[in-house]
Order: sequence, then structure tokens, then C-alpha cells
Amino acid sequence: MSKTINLTLKVWRQKGPDVKGKLETYQADGISTDMSFLEMIDVINEKLTRDGKDPIAFDHDCREGICGMCGCVVNGRAHGPEKGTTLCQLHMRHFSNGDTVVIEPWRSRAFKVIKDLVVDRSAFDKVIQAGGYVSVNTGGAPDANAIPIPQVIAETAMDAAACIGCGACVASCPNASAMLFVSAKVSQLSLLPQGKPEAAKRALAMVRKMDEMGFGNCTNEAECEAECPKEISISHIARMNREFLKAGLFSSEK
Amino acid sequence: MNWFTNTFGTSIGKKLMMSCTGLAFCGFLAVHLAGNLTLYGGADLFNAYAEHLHSLGPLLTVAEFGMLAFACIHILSALVLYLENLKARPTRYAVNKNAGGRTIGSSTMPYTGLILIGFITLHLINFHFVDKTDRTIFEIVSAALSNPGLALAYVAAMIVAAIHVSHGFWSAFQTLGANHPKYMPIIKKAGLIFSLLIAVGFGFIPVYFSIIS
Amino acid sequence: MQLDAKIPGGPIEQKWDKYRFDLKLVNPANKRKFNVIVVGTGLAGGSAAATMAELGYNVKNFCIQDSPRRAHSIAAQGGINAAKNYQNDGDSIYRLFYDTVKGGDFRAREANVYRLAQVSNNIIDQCAAQGVPFAREYGGTLANRSFGGAQVSRTFYARGQTGQQLLLGAYSALSRQIGAGKVEMFERREMLDVVIIDGKARGIVTRNLITGEVEKHAADAVVLATGGYGNVFFLSTNAMASNVTAAFRAYKKGAFFANPCYTQIHPTCIPVHGDYQSKLTLMSESLRNDGRVWVPKKPGDKRAPDQIPESDREYYLENKYPSFGNLVPRDVASRNAKEQCDAGKGVGDTELAVYLDFADAIKRDGRDVIEKKYGNLFQMYNKITADDPYKTPMMIYPAVHYTMGGLWVDYNLMSTVPGLFVLGEANFSDHGANRLGASALMQGLADGYFVAPYTIGGYIAGETLNPVTTDHPAFKESIQAVNEKTEKLLSINGKKTVDDFHKELGKVLWDHCGMARNNNGLDKAKGMIQNIRAEFWKNVTVPGSQGEFNQSLERAGRVADFLEFAEVMVTDARARQESCGGHFNEEFQTDENEALRDDENFCHAAAWEYTGDDKEPNFHKEPLTFEHVKLTQRSYK
Repeated sequence: MSKTINLTLKVWRQKGPDVKGKLETYQADGISTDMSFLEMIDVINEKLTRDGKDPIAFDHDCREGICGMCGCVVNGRAHGPEKGTTLCQLHMRHFSNGDTVVIEPWRSRAFKVIKDLVVDRSAFDKVIQAGGYVSVNTGGAPDANAIPIPQVIAETAMDAAACIGCGACVASCPNASAMLFVSAKVSQLSLLPQGKPEAAKRALAMVRKMDEMGFGNCTNEAECEAECPKEISISHIARMNREFLKAGLFSSEK
Repeated sequence: MNWFTNTFGTSIGKKLMMSCTGLAFCGFLAVHLAGNLTLYGGADLFNAYAEHLHSLGPLLTVAEFGMLAFACIHILSALVLYLENLKARPTRYAVNKNAGGRTIGSSTMPYTGLILIGFITLHLINFHFVDKTDRTIFEIVSAALSNPGLALAYVAAMIVAAIHVSHGFWSAFQTLGANHPKYMPIIKKAGLIFSLLIAVGFGFIPVYFSIIS
Repeated sequence: MQLDAKIPGGPIEQKWDKYRFDLKLVNPANKRKFNVIVVGTGLAGGSAAATMAELGYNVKNFCIQDSPRRAHSIAAQGGINAAKNYQNDGDSIYRLFYDTVKGGDFRAREANVYRLAQVSNNIIDQCAAQGVPFAREYGGTLANRSFGGAQVSRTFYARGQTGQQLLLGAYSALSRQIGAGKVEMFERREMLDVVIIDGKARGIVTRNLITGEVEKHAADAVVLATGGYGNVFFLSTNAMASNVTAAFRAYKKGAFFANPCYTQIHPTCIPVHGDYQSKLTLMSESLRNDGRVWVPKKPGDKRAPDQIPESDREYYLENKYPSFGNLVPRDVASRNAKEQCDAGKGVGDTELAVYLDFADAIKRDGRDVIEKKYGNLFQMYNKITADDPYKTPMMIYPAVHYTMGGLWVDYNLMSTVPGLFVLGEANFSDHGANRLGASALMQGLADGYFVAPYTIGGYIAGETLNPVTTDHPAFKESIQAVNEKTEKLLSINGKKTVDDFHKELGKVLWDHCGMARNNNGLDKAKGMIQNIRAEFWKNVTVPGSQGEFNQSLERAGRVADFLEFAEVMVTDARARQESCGGHFNEEFQTDENEALRDDENFCHAAAWEYTGDDKEPNFHKEPLTFEHVKLTQRSYK
């Protein structure tokens, strides 16, 4: 049953990318426990707007946990304290009356703050553009059943493909590394027969682009796996390592 | 040689160097531990082991320089990775919390590593760069470890080494891409057992000498 | 103006092949001299941009989100139809065509639907080749499931994330072209105007959502793939940023808006639970494969579901429609849920919900099987409601989900403005008055991969396109108009927020132009919308300024357009004096409360032409002829 709680919010406010930001305190009273976390911010923003103040900027879109647009660090946890949950699917029933909630943007050199809680994740797109695809033009495909794929392979590929590109892995990694994101794509495409012809080229190109974008290095701390809203396993990172080493040391790709 | 730097210069390449050298050190630790077990057999057995080792002559020198090179690679890569990682998050979080992935081992790697460098230096000063002309190696060890302060430092260092290895062992396999649903749980357990063996196996030696002295 | 759909002649099976042959081609070496603007990066926009770039055109692609991968196609759960007949259950291109026309309540264009069914097979091939991890059988072949409105198993899926996987496929193809420099990608841009020069669409004006800068882009053809307008209802399953602005601004520049009253109310959504709620969440229709829909027999029965014995339950869909059962099309399922709740049999706190029960399926197949099929959906339900659907039945209620109406397009997918093409949900073409499940993904990708790239080529090759740059005065005028509107929004400084108005508008539409409509309500709604709009322009408050990242300003512009568009919608609903598919006018129903069409007077697409602010739009009619599918009363009994 629904009840209401009062919270103290400390929210990161930053006017623009090159401006210094700071945590500001807001009172969130009468919050229904059936609300989602983002609906709670909506309520605060409506109040700020009515008071003639600048509402809190935050990214969000589908609000059903699939578009990957939303995400903040809530009390030190990417997407908040619930496992396997995006911020939009986090509900206020997981908080208690009187809690203090600290809300910060994803922090990484590769993700610049645009405003308040909004960050620039275009580095992810650039990594995909470097090789996160199968080079097949429209129209040139054989019958979809021409290449059978063992169910277990298809399912493992799907586990990796479930990545929503939200950036929680980078945000939660002590080193701000993007290995889980990059490996999810490398792993998916290296598992499937369709992705194998350019697997070596892809692994090399994507890893190099990842480094170039300024992400940190993986130290196998597995925080990404623990925070990933789609619960993507670090075994995909191992697969990418394997693909990369195979490509770097044994393939003819440079 | 473009491909070479393009491969080893990447984040995964550096990690590869870390993991290969790290695994080599694990191998070294295993051999070192096996050798040290002769201590429990008394002075003669241990001295004979040392004798045998030194009879390898140039081979031993090659091994020593190899170890030094590995140490340099391991430490330099670690340093580069550490600094890059610091740079990757210029603004820190106001609140930090573990999500459940980190362990004591994984979150302290740079610091346990740093302690180990100090310890290895001390260890080499104690037993390697030491005048061995009129004392057997057993006497040197026995004398050194009967100093309670030093004995304590050795025990502590072994615990630190065990913590370092507890993450380093499985992590090396992960970096090499050897993560298989059937074998990874075994590797993780093996890593823990191995680090426990190091803590107990090496760590008990100073205790043993304190007792017999 | 006489609407010409440009449907090619000849037998329906050969129309598209023959038409493709007749279309003029652009010489490969010349393609790089032409610029194409694609607005939107969903299934339709993303696939069109990638394919046009593969062909050699220079493409500029725009999206409202921070990455092309986040377009709302990503939220489609259930699957994508194709006439592969891999299950050997009697499927064929003709049957998919037939089901889609019938499912659309005979208000779609036969030739378009047939083409859609034809290329559906190529889509599956294309996506598999891109590495889309479709569900597979143990033998490695593709798996299928059934979906509403069909008696064959033709839906391909990737867990409950089919839209995501197909979109990521298109996104990967697009990324490849961005990497190759053939597509220039503009993220966080909102299209605010179409620029028309010499009667042709030659560019767009956008607002950079980060800097607030208003930018101009010229091209030889403009493609809108900007999705549907479901958010006009405020509460819908659409993403928060989904809006009608791009389509509506095109409408104001001369593109006709067709059938805006056809809105799809999806039967299986999580019920509304509070006035703070920002959106509704859909539960895939595929759940109806295994879930049984029921309500208590006695109105006002407040017992917990497990306390209600079989004999006191009413499985109303199974009873009423024995041959389709729980798999009736969406409009039918939604209306029946409303009917049960109106009769006082609704469940839950609000009594605006029905049960969707998996107990029998779990008993029959075991929890593991059900978990594999629907695990992520059950998890999502659990996160939102804190109920466990493995133990207690889900509660569901219909919600606005998809809009069949959209900008009018001919067989080429070109609007009434030459050079302005409209793809995917943004156009009106293929679903008639009701869309079948798993057909939206099919249509988006069909338009983007396999239709528009040919027809846009045909347009470019067949027209004389004078060189145009953004220095043309038309761009300046357009930017001026856009800026004036923005300044006005920022200068009102009223007392109510943008959301206040949006919620009011949504309620009016849901009450009077929602699942059921009547003439009286529609007439009333029109006045109410005009009042809300008038108040909006006097009393809205939009904080911040133009030259910055300003989400309130973004929303204000969208709601301003919704407020105008809603009136067109109501006008269309009032004009259609019949019931069909998603448009159910209570005054036109059969004795069994099914939609009663009037084929004599309303077998047409209604296309509305903008005539000026606060003026009634002009009505245009595209008569629909059915040569292959006989016009009958839809029956799913």
C-alpha cells in the first residue's frame, strides 16, 4: 500500500560544462512510495518551476528501463541501491522516511557534465562507430535460417546485447573504465557467426577507440557487473580480452 | 613494430603484461615456498637446498635478471595504469559505496603492491645482498627472524602478499580471457587457496623461528 | 486538391516489383552529389539513414536524444511479424497481408499493406545478418510466437526486447556509416520547421538542445521519421520526449495530416496509480499467449484473486471470442476491458484493472518455461507494482500506445509536400484503424530499409532540383518564426507549469477522445481544448532562457503543438461518423457492442489540410478500394 515519506535531497547543480558545480539541498516532502525516482524529481522540479527557480536538469526518456537515457549516482550507487534496476524503475518504496539522498551525475573524464545531472555520453557512440557492427549492406542478406546458431550461443549473445548503453558501468567502476560496455558489443558479435569475419578488426578498433576516449583501465573489480541494470556479466570482458589478444597477437590485422 | 605497440600499448595490452608477469610471480612464489619448506627439515637440509640452487650458476643469474625484468614490467605497467585510472575520473564522487563487486584484495591492489615492493627490498637486503662468507644461509635466516620486530614485519608482509594474490590470481586469468562458466569458479577457489597457502606457508616460518630460538 | 496515392497498376503481387523497375535511378556516381536529411533515428529513421548512406547519398541524421540508439522504437517488447512460414502453419505473404488489412478494420491501403507483407521476409534476413540475437530453437533455427489478431505463429522475437535488438541492429548499420563519414549525425537536436523552397521540401531548422542555438540545414529531400503523437494524452506508454512537433510543423507547412483520430489503446498496460504519474508502462501483448484475462463475475467483488474460485471468475475474452480467445486484436481486447470495468467488475484499488493470470500456464509448463519467455516482463511488473506475477495475477488496464494516424503519404511514402517523405509511425499508411501486434517494427524497418531508399531515389532522379543553400531567405524566415515563438513562450511568465496544461489536455482527450467517443463529448472537447490553449498562451511559466540547455522550454514547445494538434484530432474523430478499429464512437456499434463501420460513407482516409491558426482545417478524402480483401464485419469469434 502506498504511503508518503519525507526526504532531504542533495543534488549536484552545475550550470554548464566549464562551470564549477556544487551539491544543493532540497526538501522532498510527501513523496508517495509508489513513485519512481524520476517522478520524485519531477515533483521537485514542478515546485522549483512554480517558485521561479531553475529546475534540475536530468536525462530520461522511456521510463521503462530500456532506452538507457537516465542514470545518476544515488548515495554512491549508480542507478541507486536496487540490483538490476535503472533509475527510472527504482521506486521510492526502497527509501525510508527521513533519508538523505545524494544525487550526483556519472563521473568520468569521458563523460563531461552538460548541466546538473546530464552528461555527454557520445564517447560510447564513437566506440560503436569504430567497429560495433557487422558490415552488411541492406539487401545482401541470406535467408535468416541459412546459418543455424546454437540456442545457447544465441542466448549468450543476447545476454550481452541486452546492454542499454546507460553508462552505469563507467560510473560505478573505480577507474571509470568502459570495458563492460565495449565488451558487451564485442562479445555479442564475436559469438555470432555473422560477426566472426571481422571479429579481429572489430576488437582492435573498438578497444583502441575506447582508450582514445579517455576511459580508465579495467582492474577486474566487478563493480560494473554488480551495478549493470541489465546484469551483464564480466565474462564478456574476458571474451573481449581473448578476442583482442587473439587479434593483436595472432591475426594479420594491424 | 606498429602492431606491437598498438597491441601492448592499449589498456588490455598493459593488463596482459600485468597478468603474465603476475602469474610468473605466482609460479615463483610456489617454487620459493616449496624450497622454503626445507627450513622445517633443519639447517642441513635447507643449506643443501641453497647449495643446490647456487650450483645452477649462470642459469640462476639469468633467472634473477628475468625476475628483475618481470618486476620492472609489472611495476611500471601498474604505475601507468594507476595514473591513467586516476586521470579517468577528475571529479570524485561525494559519496562512494561498493555495489558488491570489490573485494579487499581488488580495492587495495596498488597499496598492497607498494608494500610488497618495500618488503622485497628489505627481503633482498636481509638475505640476498648479505655477507655469506662465514655464515650458512640457515644461520642468517635464523638470526634475522629471531628479531621479533623483523619477524612481525615478515608475517605482516606475507598477509599483504596473500591479499594481493587473492585478487591477482583470478584477475590474471580474467585478463587473459580465461573465463569459462565451468572453470572460473575453480580458478577463483584455487586463487584463494593459493593465497592462503602463501600466508600460512611463508607466514609460519618467522613464527617457527621465534619458537625454536 | 485531389489526393493521388500513386498506387501502381497491375496485380497486387506484382505492383511493387514493377514499380521499382519503373522508378528512375540515380547514377551511382551522382548519388554523392545529393543530400538527404533524415529526422529521427528509430527503426524507420535509423534504417533509412543507414541505407541511403550505403547507396551513396550524403545523409544528415538528427535525433532528439543524446544518442541515436535511444529512439523510442527501443521500447517495443514483443516482436516483429514476417511471413516466413518457418512454422509450416499455413502462413504466407497473402495471409499476413490479409490479417493486417482485416486487423486494421479495412481502413488501410491494400497496395501498401501487400508491399509491407512482401518485404517483411527481407527484414528478418537483414536483421539476422546484422547480428540481431533473435530467439532460436535448440536446432539453431529461428523461433516464433503468436500474437494478437493472427492464428499463425509468425512473430520473431528477442526475449522481451525485440524493439531494442532491432533498433540496435539499425543503429549499428547507422554507426558504420557515421564512422565511414557518409552520415553526419546530429544528436540532441529538435526539428522545429521544414523549409520549403519552390514548393519543395529543401531543408529543416533545428534547435541544438545543448546550446539552444537555432540551426539550419539544406538538402534535396527531407525524411521525417519522428514517431507518433500518443503523448498528446499526457499519460501514454510513449517515451517522455515523443512528440508531434516535427510532424505538426510539417503539417503547418502544407503536409496533410491523415486520420489523427486513430489512436491505439493497448490492452495490457500497468494501471494508473497516482496523479503524480508521468507515464504508463506497457506489458507486451505476447503475455496474452499464456496469460488468461479475467474479472470476478460479481460486480464489486473485493476478495483477493486467489480467494475467488473458478466458478466466480469470468474469462470474458475466452467466452466471447472462442476462436481467438485472449489473442483478439488490441482494440477489441481494450474495449472489452473497459466494458467490464464500466460494469463494476474492475479490480484493484481504482477498480480500473482486470486480471491477467499465469497460474494455469505455470501449472502446465512449469515456472522455468514461463520465466524464460517473460522473465524480464515479470521483473519489470514486480519493480513497478511490488507484486509478484508468478504468485498473484497481474493487473492490467488499457493505455494509449500507438497512433495509426500520421502525415498522409502516397505509395512513395511522400507527403503532399514534394520532397518531404514520412516514415514509420509518423505516417498513416499501413495499419488502417488498428495496428496488429508486432507490426509496428515491421513497418518501421520496411519503410526505412526497403521502401524509402528506392522511392527517394526515384524522386531525386525525376525532379529538377536547383541548388539551394542555407543562405536562401526561406531559412531566415523560418528561423525568425521559430525564434518568435520561443521568445513568446519565455515571456509569458504565468502561474502554471507546462505539465499542468499537458495534464489538463490529456484528461480531456482521454475522457472524450479515448477508448470510446461520442459526438456530444467530442463537441465539448473541442471547446475545452481551445480554452486550455488560450490559457496556456497567457498563463504558462517557462523558466530559463533560449540560449542554454532548457528542458522546460523543450516541453513547452511540444505541448504548444499538442494543444493545436489535439483539436485536429477531435475534428477528425467528430467527422468520422462510424466506429472502426481504434476509433470507437459509441453511437455506432453492433448489438454485441462491436465497432460498426459505415463502408458506404467512410471507407476513406481523411486527410486534413492546415488553413491557418485558429481556423478549421480543410478536409480531403482518399477513397480506399478493396479488391482483394472483402469488406466484412470483423469477427474474432
